Amino acid sequence: MRSLLHALILGLLGAGIVHIVVLFLVPEFSERDAWSRLAMASDLYKMRRLDAEAGGAPVVKSVDPLFYAAACRFDLADGLVRIRAPGDVPFWSASVYDRSGHNIYSFNDHNANGEKLDAVVLTPAQMIDVRRDLPEDLQGAIFVEAPIEEGIFVVRAFVPDESWKPIVSRFLEQSACELQDY
Amino acid sequence: MLKNAILTLLSLAIAIGLGGYSVWYALNAQDGVGAIRIGQWTAFPEVGTLAADPYSKARVAREGVLALGQAEGLAFVAERDDAGEPLKRECTYTIEGGYPTARFWTLYAADQSLGVIDTGKPRQSALQSYEVLRRPDNSVVISVGSRPAPGNWLLTGGSGKMYFVLTFYDTPIASSTGLSDVTLPRILKAGCNA
Repeated sequence: MRSLLHALILGLLGAGIVHIVVLFLVPEFSERDAWSRLAMASDLYKMRRLDAEAGGAPVVKSVDPLFYAAACRFDLADGLVRIRAPGDVPFWSASVYDRSGHNIYSFNDHNANGEKLDAVVLTPAQMIDVRRDLPEDLQGAIFVEAPIEEGIFVVRAFVPDESWKPIVSRFLEQSACELQDY
Repeated sequence: MLKNAILTLLSLAIAIGLGGYSVWYALNAQDGVGAIRIGQWTAFPEVGTLAADPYSKARVAREGVLALGQAEGLAFVAERDDAGEPLKRECTYTIEGGYPTARFWTLYAADQSLGVIDTGKPRQSALQSYEVLRRPDNSVVISVGSRPAPGNWLLTGGSGKMYFVLTFYDTPIASSTGLSDVTLPRILKAGCNA
């Protein structure tokens, strides 16, 4: 009897430890996180629509029905990544996420130069290199220093009503996500 | 000897079974740590950031959410009306009151997974602040229901649980200091088609 009680208490203690361990391992091993879902849908440096409008089920769920969104995955170990989109939509916003889906940095069209989306994501070490000799065509860009390697860039754009749908779709389709030489 | 082996197995079974189940249960529960409640509206300003608690981090990884950043906006979810009753798709509601400072906001009726409810009609179950009619004091009255209503009308339909999702974009309330004296509109039940 005594040893049974002993085993039960040991089991409960173990359950506490397992709870904590599993909780911290879920983000490491999840195959359903945003990165994995996007990886199944598209390649690195490819903009992929997240809303259902583009056909098929939405890749990443729960975007506002009055918003269209697109995302691309990047790996800063390859170099800087530059995201551009011609901006003539009522509102756009952009976010940089790390590999496990944490929002690292976000900004919107009021923070940008001339309402055009032109952003460069790079690591602090790359930032030092780029600062030394800033290429001319990067001068208007927003520099996002992110201490990450793999990450996701998401652009969201507001669709106030039906008539804006083609315009906002075009905005996202013309957006580009590419490795930048410097 | 055999008794010892069985007892060890028992402890292991309890540890792994209970430990795993409790994590699963905690991740499926709707409300979590770090929630901010204003009236019936709940927001999780820290979800999806590095400052989030381990539970919401695990939930973000498991559900593949890409949460809105601070410069983008902040979403509030309501699952009950002002009387404390759960929201139902077969009932009509009135959402009335003022809204905090933001460039604009959107409001939509959502199902359990917080996706917009499918009414099967071309009109979306969503409204935004540029298209609503306002009263002289700048407050907004929105009628929610399956039948058209004068003024601002948010279409719903079907039956079952419903949520309202109210998202403010480009808003100062997304920064942590701004949330202290924010008031959000009230949700009043107007009637139900039983």
